[in-house]
Amino acid sequence: MNKMGSIINFTFKNKVRTKSFMITTLILVLLLSIGMNIPYLIKVFNGENGAKEATQIGIVAAQGFQPAELLMAYTPPAEAEDKVIFTAYPSAEDAALKQGLADEKIEGYLTFADKGSVGVPPVTYHSKDGEIDSELRTNLQAALQQVNTGLIVGDKLTESQVAAIFAPVSFDTEQLSATGGAGGTDQDEVKPVINYVVVYVLLMLFFMSVMMTGNMIAAEITSEKSSRIMEILITSASPLTQMFGKVIGIFLVGLLQIAIISASIALNLMLPHNSSILTDFNLDLGQLNAGILVYGFILYILGYFLYALMYAAVGSIVSRTEDLGQAVMPVMMVGFVSFYLPLFSISNPDTLLVKVASFVPFTSPLSLLLRIGVGHVAFWEIMVSLLILLVTTFIFGWLAAKIYRTGVLMYGKRPSIKEIRKAMKAYKI
Amino acid sequence: MEALQLEQVVKQYGEKTAVNGISLKVEQGEIYGLLGANGAGKTTTMRMVLGLIYPDEGSILYNGKPYSAELQHLMGYLPEERGLYPKVKVSDQIIYLARLRGMSASEADKSLRYWLERFDVPEYYNKKIEELSKGNQQKMGFVAAVVHKPKILILDEAFSGLDPVNVELLKDTVREMRDSGTSILFSTHRMEHVEELCRNITILDRSNTVVQGDIREIKKGYPREQVALRTTGEVNGLAEIAGVTRVERLERGYLLSISEIGAAQRILQLAMAQGEVEHFEIKEPTLNQIFIRAVGESNE
Repeated sequence: MNKMGSIINFTFKNKVRTKSFMITTLILVLLLSIGMNIPYLIKVFNGENGAKEATQIGIVAAQGFQPAELLMAYTPPAEAEDKVIFTAYPSAEDAALKQGLADEKIEGYLTFADKGSVGVPPVTYHSKDGEIDSELRTNLQAALQQVNTGLIVGDKLTESQVAAIFAPVSFDTEQLSATGGAGGTDQDEVKPVINYVVVYVLLMLFFMSVMMTGNMIAAEITSEKSSRIMEILITSASPLTQMFGKVIGIFLVGLLQIAIISASIALNLMLPHNSSILTDFNLDLGQLNAGILVYGFILYILGYFLYALMYAAVGSIVSRTEDLGQAVMPVMMVGFVSFYLPLFSISNPDTLLVKVASFVPFTSPLSLLLRIGVGHVAFWEIMVSLLILLVTTFIFGWLAAKIYRTGVLMYGKRPSIKEIRKAMKAYKI
Repeated sequence: MEALQLEQVVKQYGEKTAVNGISLKVEQGEIYGLLGANGAGKTTTMRMVLGLIYPDEGSILYNGKPYSAELQHLMGYLPEERGLYPKVKVSDQIIYLARLRGMSASEADKSLRYWLERFDVPEYYNKKIEELSKGNQQKMGFVAAVVHKPKILILDEAFSGLDPVNVELLKDTVREMRDSGTSILFSTHRMEHVEELCRNITILDRSNTVVQGDIREIKKGYPREQVALRTTGEVNGLAEIAGVTRVERLERGYLLSISEIGAAQRILQLAMAQGEVEHFEIKEPTLNQIFIRAVGESNE
C-alpha cells in the first residue's frame, strides 16, 4: 500500500507540474469565463444597461391612413422584451425623420403600397443598410398581423376577443401511464431547463476529462516502456500496484481539473454583474435535480476507471510513442460513440437506443446520466446499470493488469492478439 | 551459501531458445562476469534473475530460496538502456525509485546525497535528467540502481559510453559495494574490465555456455602461446627455432608466438647463448584471446 501511495503521489505531482496540463486547464478556464460573461459583455458593448430602450420606427403615411393609426395604437403583449415605438411622418423627405435616421435614433421606417382592398397593404421596411434583424422583424410582423386582424374584423369583435385570438395556444405533453394513478404522476412533470444545461455541461466535462486523462495514462506508460525505466519499475513494485497507482494518480489529476473548472464556473456565476444571468435565461438552480450531481459523480468515477484501464492496457502494448495514436483509436471511437449518443439525444432522452445504451457498460456512464438528468428512469434501472458497470470495470481491471504485465516487457513490433493471449497465460498478476 | 544460484535455466521465446541451460553461482561479495557477444542471452539471463521473466526450465535461488516479492527490495538493476524519466528532476525520481524498493523518503534522500557527493556532482540534485550529458545520465542510472543499498546488484553494460576517468570511478564504487557484501552480476563486452573485477565468469555464445569458471583456471586450460623476451643485444635466429610461428620485434625486445610450450625453452637457451637476458616471460592468454577463441570455435 505504501508503494501504491508513492506511485500515486509521483504520478500526480509530475502530471500536474507539466506545462501541457497547466496550459490546457488555463485555456479551459479562460474560455469558460469568456463564455459565461458574453451576455454581460454584449450588454456593455451595446451601451445598454438594464432595461432595453425601445426601438423607434417611423411610419410614412398620409394623415388619417387607417393602418398607420392602428399601428400607432398597437400595444405589444406585456411579456415582450423589445418595445417598438411608432411615429408617423407625412413623407420620407420629412426633416425630422431624416434627422432621426442620421442620428441613429430611428432604426428605419415603413411605407405602405398604394393598392390594398382588405386589410393592410404590402409593407416595405426602409433602413440605412437595407437589413432588418430577426427580432425586430418578428415584432413588426406581430404588430402588423394584429393591425391586419383589426382592420378585417373591424368592430365585430371586442378588444379582448382580438387579444384572445393572438394568445398562444397552451400545448403540453403527457406520457401514457400503463399502471395509471400514482406511478405516472411524478413522470408527468416537465424537467426544468436547468437540468438540461447541467446535463449538457457534465457530458462535455466528463467526456473531455476522461479522454484527456486516458490519453495521459497511455502516453505515460508507453514512454516509461520506451525509456526502459519500466524494467526498473517492474522489478520494484508489482505491475498491478503500478498500473492502479498510475490510474488513481491520474484520476486525481482529472478531479483536480474538474474542481478548478467547477470553481471557475461558480466564481463567474457569483460575479455581481452576472447575478441575473441565470434568471435571464429562465434558469433556477433551485429546480436542479440534485441526483444529477450525485449520480454524475459516481458515473464519472466508474466511467473513468473503465476507460483508464483500457487506455492503460493499450499503452502497455505499444513500444514507441509514435505508434500510440493509432493504437488508442479503437478506445477513442468507443468514447466518441458514448459521448455523441447522449449529446444528440438530449432533447429526446427516452428513446430505445438511449435506454439500451444506458445499460451497455462503455456507453452507460453518459447515457445513464442523460436519462437521470432529463429523461425518465426507474431507480432499479439505475442500480442495475451501475452494477453492470461496476462488474465490467472489475473484469477490465483484471484483464488490463494481465495485458499490462505481459505488454510492458514486449518490445519490437506491436504484438498480435494471439501473441498477447499466449504470453498472458505465462504470468500471474 | 551462494547469494545467487542458477541451475540449468532455460528460456525460450517461441521457437527460439534464448538461454539454453545456464548454471552459475555467485557468492556473497563477489563480482561475477557474464560475457557474450550481442544476442548471446546475457540480458535474458539477467531479466530472469530479476524476476522480470520466468525461466521455462531450471531454477534460480536467492540465498537458497526461490524468487519472492520481498527480493525486490534487495535487488538493484542498471539496464543496458538507462531507464530514467528524462523530464523529471534527479532527486524526485531517484527518491521515488528508492521508495518503491522499500526505503523511507528521508533515508533515500540521505543515500542519494551521499552518492552525488561520491560522484562529485551534488549540483545534479535539482537537475532534470535531460539536462545532463549521456555519461552523466548513466552515472545517475547507476545511482538509481544502488541508492537503496541492494544485496544483489545487476549491471548490464554499466561502463559503456563512459570516459576513462568515470570508468575508474565506477569500478572503484563497484569494488566498494563488493567489499561491503553485495553480490554483483556484471555483463560487458570489455574484457579488460572483467579481468580487473571478476574472479569467476561465464561466456555465453548464442544461448549456450561455452566457457565457465575461475579466470585463472580457465587461463591454465588454454595453451600459452606467447613469449616476451628482452635482452641486452640482438638475438639472431629466433625465427628458425622449431615451434616458433611468428616473431615480432618490439621497441625493446621481442614478442614471439609459439605452437608448443617446448619452444619457449629453446628460445631462452638461444637468447642466453647470445647475450644477457633481462626479461623472459611465457605469457598467459588474455581473456580477449580466450573469448575470441571460445566464441570463434563454436561458430565454426
